[in-house]
Amino acid sequence: METRSRRTFLAVCLGGIGAAAACLTTYPLIRYLAPRQGEAARKKVAIPSAEVPEGGAKFFEFDGSTAVLIRKKGGDIVALSAVCTHLGCIVQWQKENEQFLCPCHGGLYTADGAVVSGPPPKPLEKIPFVLNGGSILVG
Amino acid sequence: MPLFKKLFDWLEVRIGVRELAEKELTSYLLPRTINVWYSMGSILLAIFALQVVTGILLMVYYVPDADKAFKSVTAIMNEVPFGWLIRLCHAVGSNMMVLILLFHMFSVLFMGSYKSPRELNWLSGFILFNLVLGISLTGYLLPWSQLSFWATTVATNSVGAIPYVGGYLTEFLRGGKLVGPPTLGRFFALHVALLPLLIASVVAIHLFLLERIGVSSPPFGQENSANRWEGDRFRYEDHPGGIPFFPNYLLQDMTSIFVYLAFFFAVVFFAPSIFFPFDAFSPANPFQTPAHIKPEWYFLANYQTLKLFPNEFIGLMVQGVAMTFLAVLPFLDRGKERHPLKRPLFMLCAIGGIALYLALMIWGHYS
Repeated sequence: METRSRRTFLAVCLGGIGAAAACLTTYPLIRYLAPRQGEAARKKVAIPSAEVPEGGAKFFEFDGSTAVLIRKKGGDIVALSAVCTHLGCIVQWQKENEQFLCPCHGGLYTADGAVVSGPPPKPLEKIPFVLNGGSILVG
Repeated sequence: MPLFKKLFDWLEVRIGVRELAEKELTSYLLPRTINVWYSMGSILLAIFALQVVTGILLMVYYVPDADKAFKSVTAIMNEVPFGWLIRLCHAVGSNMMVLILLFHMFSVLFMGSYKSPRELNWLSGFILFNLVLGISLTGYLLPWSQLSFWATTVATNSVGAIPYVGGYLTEFLRGGKLVGPPTLGRFFALHVALLPLLIASVVAIHLFLLERIGVSSPPFGQENSANRWEGDRFRYEDHPGGIPFFPNYLLQDMTSIFVYLAFFFAVVFFAPSIFFPFDAFSPANPFQTPAHIKPEWYFLANYQTLKLFPNEFIGLMVQGVAMTFLAVLPFLDRGKERHPLKRPLFMLCAIGGIALYLALMIWGHYS
């Protein structure tokens, strides 16, 4: 069996203590700087139906991001993430064409979030909702 | 290791790291009689580094707005994971920095290390002491608690005692007639930008002087403890046959830093309340002054001095004279002797001064 010198033993001990100290310092640091748990958890958002007129859109904060509710000309309601799937800009609702336009690079989406043209690789994310009396419960 | 060696060789051929390390570490010799008091500066550097790191971390969540500051500090303490630890380290660290600075100054005083040719070392150290008091004062306001609000009101009020310009100076300092949101903005800028920059610059000058002039020999453990400086020309004070900085004295420095950290964390974990009186936990209310508002311990002697004199201006003048005397001490004390026991007049003044400082501090606390 290989015998270890006192110097090696002390170096290993010192390294161990150093590693433990580094962990004790790093763990609180990461916890301190990490985004807070729970705050970003999905909370249902209630939007009064009257705030979404026919052909209109209502942008609101949802799940730490931006979402949009639209009521199409036929009366159908759609809830979508308003974050463009290309580079994360917030899309704009074009009432006349019933389309979403991303102002950053010209990505075009239908009212249901499907890509019409431009660089977006994916459609806008759909968000579930229920009609609850006079309000729309999103989430 | 080959990678490390390659990196070392790469640097060696470009900037001569081997020669640099030898000059600054292994061949940098210190007096054989050097003692633990010489490591106070290293402890202070470690504290300053810790203050900078914890200060930057606090800025992640702190909001320098009078309506939100207290709430943000409360959130740091109660909601942000380990926020309490970062904030306590910063708050306790600021007190410790003043304490260790005082120890550093006392050791320099008693060992006569401020004497020629080290007048500039003393002067730069004295400036650092004042800057540290300034950064502590400005940081004290930031939590926007009753304690910080009213302690700052009292502290900035003292400036008003200066004849003719006092009123204007107070208003200038506060950014208004009373302490308020503009004061917070000013103190925040001073605390996080100007004062740290100034402290870092003066620390650099202080270290340059230490390096350029050489470390002084302690007056203990040698027959002739008189100052050997001749004053005819510049001479680097070397210590042939001394101990190398690396690894010998670095080990002492590290030991001192870890002993300090043990004491520091003992306060942070087991007794942080000594630096947080009751009024530190309620938000600032400009319409209600709490009873018995007092400044931090390191301003208690100044606070009591101001109260002792019937005229505030005389109180300020007395403090100004005392501080000026301390600043120019190396220019007044021209004696060659450095051993404290061979300087009876100095010992009398120094011990008397420290006793008076402590007495005023205790008096101020209980008054």
